[in-house]
Amino acid sequence: MHNNLTRIQNVFGFFTSVAFSVAAVIAVSVVLIPQTPSASLQLRNVQVVKGRPHYYSTQREEYAHVKFDLDADLSTLFNWNTKQIFAYITASYPSSDPSTIPRSEAIIWDAVIPAANAPAHPNTYIHPSLSKSNARPKTKADRLAAQKPYPPGKEPGILKLASQKPKYQINDVSGRIAERANATLTLHWNVQPWVGALVWDSRKTYGRWQGLRGGMAGFDFPALKGTEVKKEELRTETGGERNRGSPA
Amino acid sequence: MDQLLDQARSIWEGEIDFEGQRLVDLLTYALLSLSGAIAFLVGFSTQDIYQTLYIGLGGTALTFLVVVPPWPFYNQHPLPWLQARDTGRVALGALGLEGISVEVDGQRVS
Repeated sequence: MHNNLTRIQNVFGFFTSVAFSVAAVIAVSVVLIPQTPSASLQLRNVQVVKGRPHYYSTQREEYAHVKFDLDADLSTLFNWNTKQIFAYITASYPSSDPSTIPRSEAIIWDAVIPAANAPAHPNTYIHPSLSKSNARPKTKADRLAAQKPYPPGKEPGILKLASQKPKYQINDVSGRIAERANATLTLHWNVQPWVGALVWDSRKTYGRWQGLRGGMAGFDFPALKGTEVKKEELRTETGGERNRGSPA
Repeated sequence: MDQLLDQARSIWEGEIDFEGQRLVDLLTYALLSLSGAIAFLVGFSTQDIYQTLYIGLGGTALTFLVVVPPWPFYNQHPLPWLQARDTGRVALGALGLEGISVEVDGQRVS
C-alpha cells in the first residue's frame, strides 16, 4: 500500500471479492421469498394439414396447428432478482413405439416477459388486447398500456389469452402427426435472474416455492384435414422477433 | 530540473508511511465490506436490485477517494533517514567493528 498503484490494485481486488459475495447472497436470498404460480390451460382447436418445410422441398409433411386458451398468474415468480421470465407452452406426445423411440416434445408458443424495472428490448412480449374490438386505443396512457407484456392494469406475469394462435406449427420427424393419441399441452417457464442460477418450472413444492397447479391439458391429434381449411386459420402468431432488423 | 522531476515522482508514487499503510488496509476492508452489507440489506428490504447496485458502486467510489490519494493524515509518522557517516576508525568503534581491516586489491582501505 506504499504506492498509488498498489492501493488502487488492492481496493479493486477486494471490491471484486465483495461484489461476488454480495451477488452470491442475492442469488440465495430468493429462496426465502414465497412463490405461488397458478395456470389454467385448455385446448381450443387443433388442425392437421399437409405442408412443405421449405418452398423447394419435394416432400409434403403433416403439420399440426394448435390453438389454446391460457389464464396464468406467474406474478409471484417476479422477485427483486428476476430480470425476465421465458414462458412457453409445449405439446408432447408418445411415439409409436415407446420402448425404443422416446417421447416427442415441441414448443408451440413462447413469450419473453421482462420485469417492470428491466430495460426494454425489442423481443419483449406484447400482450394482446383483451377487448373484442380492433379499434386503436385513444389516449396516450391507453396506447402505452397496450404495449406491455401484461394486460392493462395488471402486473408482469399475468397472462389472459383466449383462442391464442400458436407461434410455431409442429410436425413430427417422421412427417406424420395426424391421429396420434395421448398428447399433452403443458405450460413451462424459465426464470432468468439478475445474478444466480436459471430456474425452470416445477410441479413439486420446495419450501416457500409452491409447485405449479394446473397448466396442463390432454388432447389427441385429429385426422388430416383436406382442402376445407382456410389459409387464414393456419396463420401463426409472430412475436418480438419480427421487430428485429433485417437480416436478423 | 532534478528537483522538478523529484516532485513529479513524488506526486506519481504517492508514498505514505507505515502507520498510514496500516490505516489504509483497515479502511479498505471496513469501507468495502460495509458498503456491500448495506447495499444488500437496503436492496432486499426495498426489493429493488438497482438500489443494491447504486449503493455498492457508490460505496466503492467513496473507498477509492478515501484510500488512494496520499492524504496528509496517512503521513503523520514519517521515519527519518539516519545521518550519513564516514567509515573512519571512530565510526567503526561506534559500530563495534574494531579490529576489522578492509582490504581492496591488496591495499588496506580502513
